[in-house]
Amino acid sequence: MGVLKAQPAKVSDWARNSVGAVWRAYDLQLTIYAALLAGLGLAMAYSNTVAAQTALLDPSSTFARGLMWAGIAFVVFLTATAFDYKWLKTFAWPIYLANLGLLGLSLAIGDGVSGAARWVSVFGLQFQFSELAKILMIVVLAAFLAGRHDRLDRLSTILGAGVLVAPAGVLVMLQPDLGTSLVLGAILVGMLFMSGASLRWLGAFGAVAVAFVPIAWTYVLRDYQKQRLLSFLDPSSDPQGSGYQLLQSQIAVGSGGLFGKGLTNGTQNQLDFLPVQTTDFVFALVAEELGFIGALLVFGLFIALIWRILAAAHRSTDPFGSFFAAGVATMVLFQLLVNVGMVIGVMPITGIPLPFITHGGASLISLALGLGILQSINLRQARAEW
Amino acid sequence: MVAPALPPIVDERPVRERQLVRLLVFAIVMLIGIGGLVARLVYLQLVSGHQFAQLADENRTVSQSIASTRGVIFDRNGRALVLNEPSYSIKVRPADLPFSQRDEVIARLSQLLGLDPADVTATIDGNPGSRFDLVRIAQDVPVAKADLIAEEHLDLPGVEVAVESKRKYVDGPLLSQVLGYTGAIDADTLKALSSQGYLPDDLIGRAGVESTYETQLRGVYGQETVERDATGRKIQVLRTDRQAQAGDSLILTIDTTEQRKAQQAVEWAMKTAGLKRGVLIAMNPQTGEILALVSLPTYDSNAFAQGISRKAFQALLANPEKPLLDNAINQQFPPGSTYKLVTGLGALADKKLGINEQVMSKPYIQIGPDRFWDWNRLGFGSLTIVSGFAHSSDTFFFQVAQRLGIERLAYWARQFGFGAPTGIDLPGEAAGIVPDEKWKQDTFGQAIFPGEVLQAGIGQGYDVATPLQLLNAYAALANGGTLYQPQVVREIVDADGNVVQPFQPKVIRKLDVPPLLLETMRVAARAVVTSRHTFNLVELPIVVAGKTGTAEFGTRDSKGRLPFHNWWVCFVPSHGDVRKPDSTLAVIGFAYDSNTVGNAATEMVKYYLQLHFDLKVDKRLPDLLRRGNFYGGN
Repeated sequence: MGVLKAQPAKVSDWARNSVGAVWRAYDLQLTIYAALLAGLGLAMAYSNTVAAQTALLDPSSTFARGLMWAGIAFVVFLTATAFDYKWLKTFAWPIYLANLGLLGLSLAIGDGVSGAARWVSVFGLQFQFSELAKILMIVVLAAFLAGRHDRLDRLSTILGAGVLVAPAGVLVMLQPDLGTSLVLGAILVGMLFMSGASLRWLGAFGAVAVAFVPIAWTYVLRDYQKQRLLSFLDPSSDPQGSGYQLLQSQIAVGSGGLFGKGLTNGTQNQLDFLPVQTTDFVFALVAEELGFIGALLVFGLFIALIWRILAAAHRSTDPFGSFFAAGVATMVLFQLLVNVGMVIGVMPITGIPLPFITHGGASLISLALGLGILQSINLRQARAEW
Repeated sequence: MVAPALPPIVDERPVRERQLVRLLVFAIVMLIGIGGLVARLVYLQLVSGHQFAQLADENRTVSQSIASTRGVIFDRNGRALVLNEPSYSIKVRPADLPFSQRDEVIARLSQLLGLDPADVTATIDGNPGSRFDLVRIAQDVPVAKADLIAEEHLDLPGVEVAVESKRKYVDGPLLSQVLGYTGAIDADTLKALSSQGYLPDDLIGRAGVESTYETQLRGVYGQETVERDATGRKIQVLRTDRQAQAGDSLILTIDTTEQRKAQQAVEWAMKTAGLKRGVLIAMNPQTGEILALVSLPTYDSNAFAQGISRKAFQALLANPEKPLLDNAINQQFPPGSTYKLVTGLGALADKKLGINEQVMSKPYIQIGPDRFWDWNRLGFGSLTIVSGFAHSSDTFFFQVAQRLGIERLAYWARQFGFGAPTGIDLPGEAAGIVPDEKWKQDTFGQAIFPGEVLQAGIGQGYDVATPLQLLNAYAALANGGTLYQPQVVREIVDADGNVVQPFQPKVIRKLDVPPLLLETMRVAARAVVTSRHTFNLVELPIVVAGKTGTAEFGTRDSKGRLPFHNWWVCFVPSHGDVRKPDSTLAVIGFAYDSNTVGNAATEMVKYYLQLHFDLKVDKRLPDLLRRGNFYGGN
């Protein structure tokens, strides 16, 4: 058979599949790993709620809100799984424009900490559209690359993908949200790499990007961003200022030891020495309360999860599916490495959440959407015939 | 791009293979990246875990002091003079008081407490500790106000209500000069004492025995390890590292009943004679125990225990009669004729004067162009030491002083304890001055003039002494020549009532004088009374012996007269025989800025003796004190 054309599947295709076949195609492991990671996130939210001495199911408690977001995320996941992903290819351009629109809207009406315009209230809930933008960008890029699957090694592919990502990246940067723009960049590079783009051109652009660093440092980054980036090099130089968080998080991680202090027993967490302990620095909480063993468990789950995502990429006969999976894998891995690296003091502080575990609706829902689409891709593959 | 009419047959295999390789490369990157994180975690959690655990512990725990119970104070009969009672204090932690709200919070707090906002601001700014240490704003706040402030805590960030132990001075101002008071520690003291566990919001003895016996009264603070959160809020006590050890209690030599009588006598004399200040000290010459010590005007220790307002404190400081000072020991005055004891006994001991030797007193002694007049401008004729002392003849003692010379006079003065603090267990004792050649050279760069020797012989000129020094010198006369260190604390007992430090008289020195000479001076002192130099004191149904003194001070008035002080220092032989050194009561009275015919000090002490011995007669001569502005009699 020839090229598998990108076209919407008919509803009758779904009905024709037997339940057994669906189950075989469905990657239960992927769902389980993700659910375990999200469960770990809830455990951390629970620990934090105990520390704050708020009632467990009080609507304002971290745990209750985590539970609510997990519920919403589950619905999103199921919906995305049921939804035929092939429609995404059809609607790639509207999705792209909607994405830019939402980011523009965030910039216009959003509010957030220290002047950053990141959060937009939706039905009274704070929502960070830049999280959703990552998944939408993966969809758009996957559609774009799938459309060029026969000329992926051309320069125009790389340039085109870059041009697609750039407006979103700039809008996110303007919020300013350095972390998300870095994630968008990583997704671009990861997807280009795994789709089979020209290594030579990728290398050339990489060199240009490195050359661009001093310019970005001078003209693009704001002072607080620079300070955060630098403080990781020597947190003790300013222990009460920008280095405080790093120092406290390393103390939290280190003091966890092999087995940890036990859930809800982390002093750094319970006594509030660790700032933002359920969001960006949640890994410090994991490492303090669950120890080295807990951290290994987290890493193990992530490796297994990413492995299943890569398997989905490989299994997909549809280039869109492969590329989408590659994008999700890149996003998850990049965020894992940068977030944990930041917590343990080997990476600068950038506001990048730890997938599934960081407390926050937008991140979890975006991931649920991504994994839902991935399951949809898994379910809707004709066996590759090559 | 234009799509060809027929799709080309594309061999997808190389592309898929390349993609598979790249997926594997991605997987390897993942494993390397996560491996790097694991390596770092191995270092943080497994290799350095202990250090970080220690840092986390240091983060969350803080060692804090447990206040000990301050010892209390009793009089010699076991009557409680100072107690501890719980009271509410309002404290502020400056670090928790946001700068933007500072003025607002201070204004509200001042309003609730009825304080001047400027005072509150000054107290916060004068905080001896760091921004994180509590500063006491108000003490002894009524429960209702403390409750109100506790309820408003959301509007009063950084403000805390604390229950503290407050000192209760049972008799108010009666014993303030002896007891003193406790007050907030100041920055310099804190610096010096922080190694001994003093805290920035600690109270410390600031005057009286509260100050002298600070260490014993305070006890030893305990230490506990407390868990706190990142904002410094205490969560729980993890362990007690050292129990607090309650302070010891003091049993004073003071008898409250005697103190009241003494106070009554001083108040009467001051009122009747219009004195600005009055002092009366009663002691046991056989031991050096102070039975009563009155210095008026005074203050109320409770004002300090409640946290004195800046205004009230300024008023105390600005008062020209210095109510915060104990005139009995902190201030020195010319002793006047009372000093003739030193001149007389010194001359007898140095054999410059015989016991029965007659010396012609004169109206004046001429030295160069200057005449040094007797207070009695006629002179008294021929006098012995006893009659010379009894009449307090100046010209008699001028001649005796000339025979003795300034150096020997100074020697005997120092033997009697002049020119050095007595060492009483109260703070801020003045040393007095005993002039001699060296002192004159050191102070003025001049030799002593011959006329100054005469002045020194009658306790004028450069001589100054505290009332306590003078009393102590006469106590040595009364007890047969032993100079004791006066004491106001008799015993120290621990919290369970066990005696930690029993009473022990402390001997400064024994005078190297034949007993006969001391006996002669005691007889002379009795002659002061029997000669009616002291008017009707002889009519008291007890035997009293002593010496009056009057000394000029200050600046002359429009008629060229100087204001003067009166002294009366005396002792009461136990069995009515002045020749025996068995007195158990020696008393000094001091009338500051006297301007009356009678000796206000003598009247004061007379009244005290009447009260002390519960005499049924009243020999006070108030009319003598009311006839004012007479400069004369000694």
